[in-house]
Amino acid sequence: MVIDFSSFYNLPRQLDKFFDDAWRPSMISQRRNAYPPVNISEDKSRIYVYSEIPGVDIEDVDITLSDGSLVIKGNRKHGKGSYYRQERPAGLFQRVVNLNVAINPDGVTAKMKDGVLEIVIPKADEAMPRKISIKAE
Amino acid sequence: MTTSEVRSDIKGKLPRFSPNTDIIEKEDGFHIYMDMPGVDREDLIIDLKENDLEISARAQYPRMEGVSNVHLEFGDCEYSRSFTISDVVERENIKANLKNGVLEMFLPKAEKAKPRKIEIQAG
Repeated sequence: MVIDFSSFYNLPRQLDKFFDDAWRPSMISQRRNAYPPVNISEDKSRIYVYSEIPGVDIEDVDITLSDGSLVIKGNRKHGKGSYYRQERPAGLFQRVVNLNVAINPDGVTAKMKDGVLEIVIPKADEAMPRKISIKAE
Repeated sequence: MTTSEVRSDIKGKLPRFSPNTDIIEKEDGFHIYMDMPGVDREDLIIDLKENDLEISARAQYPRMEGVSNVHLEFGDCEYSRSFTISDVVERENIKANLKNGVLEMFLPKAEKAKPRKIEIQAG
């Protein structure tokens, strides 16, 4: 008897595809749910956090690392005058990003370009994947 | 011809957003602020055709190799928005400035439209 497992084995790929689709920028549904929006990526040794904070100087952004979470805090000021239209969010904002890996707090860097904040957090040595060499006897 | 079609095809794939905008009137004129994070000066087009002020821009983030995305809330996109400006605005002196992902435009009022105090003469 031959059992065709092909559909079963394809499932992980289908799931991947589903998530890839869901994460395509054009499908972003939570764009306006939380402010400011953040993107998080990682590679073997670092975590990258990007956040869209237009109109705020890097000096006015408060970045704190505490107990496994990254907190981005700041204030968006608005000008005085008679408003015809106000759509840009103003006032205090805060966003907490949970980091589930051990990090090296001394090597964190942050910079701002075109209203996008970039934070690079190096992972701690113990969180990095390590190759274990096997000795043949 | 073909390349332009291809380009417009690529363009069409990017999600398009209407950027958040503040319009403030002050004594000297109108100040327009638009949130356009990720937009470089080269990717911003401001067009004034008669009474229509059209702004379009494109934000593109560099692709990183060997990186897995854990969580995404924003990405490459296009911004586009147009305004109708009134005759009060002096077209020659419209100024635009892109700083920190915010486009700031200043539309000065023509001299004759500025508020003026009228002196009352006692007679």
